[in-house]
Amino acid sequence: MNSFLIKNIDEWNVFAAQLVTRLQPSMIVTLSGSLGVGKTTLVQAVARALGVKVNPRSPTFSLMRTYRTSDGSSIKRVLHVDAYRLEKSSDVLALDMDEELSEPGTVLFIEWPENLQVWMKKQTGPRLQITISIREDGAREVTMS
Amino acid sequence: MKIRPQVVKNTKKSQRSWRVLGIETSCDETAVSILRVQGSAVRVDKNLVSSQIPIHQMYGGVVPEVAARAHVVELIALLDQALGKTYMKRVDAIAVTHGPGLATALRVGLEAARCLAAVSGKPIVGVNHLEGHIASSWLNAANRRQWKFPLLALIVSGGHTELIFIKDFCEYSLIGQTRDDAAGEAFDKSAKLMGLPYPGGPQIARAALNGDSSAFALPRPMLHDGAFDFSFSGLKTAVRQTWEALSIDQREARRADLAASTQQAIVDVLVTKTILAAHQTKVRGVLLVGGVSANRALRERLGEAIKRDLRGVSFLPSDIRYVTDNAAMIAAAGAWHLQRGDAHDWKKMDVDPELDLF
Repeated sequence: MNSFLIKNIDEWNVFAAQLVTRLQPSMIVTLSGSLGVGKTTLVQAVARALGVKVNPRSPTFSLMRTYRTSDGSSIKRVLHVDAYRLEKSSDVLALDMDEELSEPGTVLFIEWPENLQVWMKKQTGPRLQITISIREDGAREVTMS
Repeated sequence: MKIRPQVVKNTKKSQRSWRVLGIETSCDETAVSILRVQGSAVRVDKNLVSSQIPIHQMYGGVVPEVAARAHVVELIALLDQALGKTYMKRVDAIAVTHGPGLATALRVGLEAARCLAAVSGKPIVGVNHLEGHIASSWLNAANRRQWKFPLLALIVSGGHTELIFIKDFCEYSLIGQTRDDAAGEAFDKSAKLMGLPYPGGPQIARAALNGDSSAFALPRPMLHDGAFDFSFSGLKTAVRQTWEALSIDQREARRADLAASTQQAIVDVLVTKTILAAHQTKVRGVLLVGGVSANRALRERLGEAIKRDLRGVSFLPSDIRYVTDNAAMIAAAGAWHLQRGDAHDWKKMDVDPELDLF
């Protein structure tokens, strides 16, 4: 398990650049942490690092957004799912995530993975777990395992 | 915009009347509407939204809570209600949301619309959900009377925060948008952080009535940057820090103040940027549309600011009935396209979850 301290947007970019080297196709990256801790901010930094041309916005209401990368790496596509509004794990069926994830070169970032436990348990592919917390001084502590 | 790839017919401009069937399934709501349009005369014959109708009581079974599967059950029920025994005989054309939104949800509405177009032979037009919100303002007769281009639209909802310049019917350009959270999301998540139930917008507005909006200094990101993008994600952090700094005993007593301060921060940014954008683009009217436009403080403040700062500019908010997702607005935007002669080939239509309006 690795731990990082993030104080500003530049440090998010540095962290994202490291994270990107660990991504592989079909990987699921779970993002845990309370409201306003920086989960979407991290996905924005990852998208920049992968050469995504649009700025990811919060997927809370749309549930899922997709971005095409342009950095020529093995990651072609970023799926950004937010399970914040999903109360039952069965809701995940509606997102067609199995099919979406099977598209070559796809990596899936999931916010609030705790709301998708049943689906998560069935996934056997590569996975990274990221947990973000906020310190009293406002800095973010990020752990990755 | 991307909507005119296959022009199949060219009718005389605004002469004929259209009875348009509207279908909307881009997010949580399933909605069906029948709208009559002749020139500037508009009548909403049917406006059915699933969350307002006890479908399982009428059609049996349980409506699944999952968006896409719920749309399937609800859409059949709503189409049956709207069309009745005359089926497609009394409809001239179909307008359906084909993006942006959730792919699996959009597909339910689009496939139903394509089937209806195929069997009835009636024209079909795909509508951008955001264009639908813009058209929701036009459903209001008083707004139609003051409808003079160019216009500016502030679209504010749970999933959207956009400033859009409207040169003419169906001609749009993006002026600004949120870089992270939508305004409605800022309301909902701030409400959650201060222990208010969902949906947060109305809860914050209610709590704010008894609060002091200057009690807490919350950030107004990018307020004076001269550009028209928004950012609301930092507000969550500020609300959380403010709330957590209060002792448990203080929280009940100060919640109204924090709600009022939060609402003030969101409304300040929305109003300031909209006025500035309207001024710079020299529009003749400002539309306020989308679910968050139901917020009374936003309506009042924007209306007052337009009156005070923008001479001769009309304030054109949607009627409260049409602020949240509905199909009447989709049918209205569809009618704009149909009157221009735009239509799609049903065989070639597909959903686009990231569809742009520009």
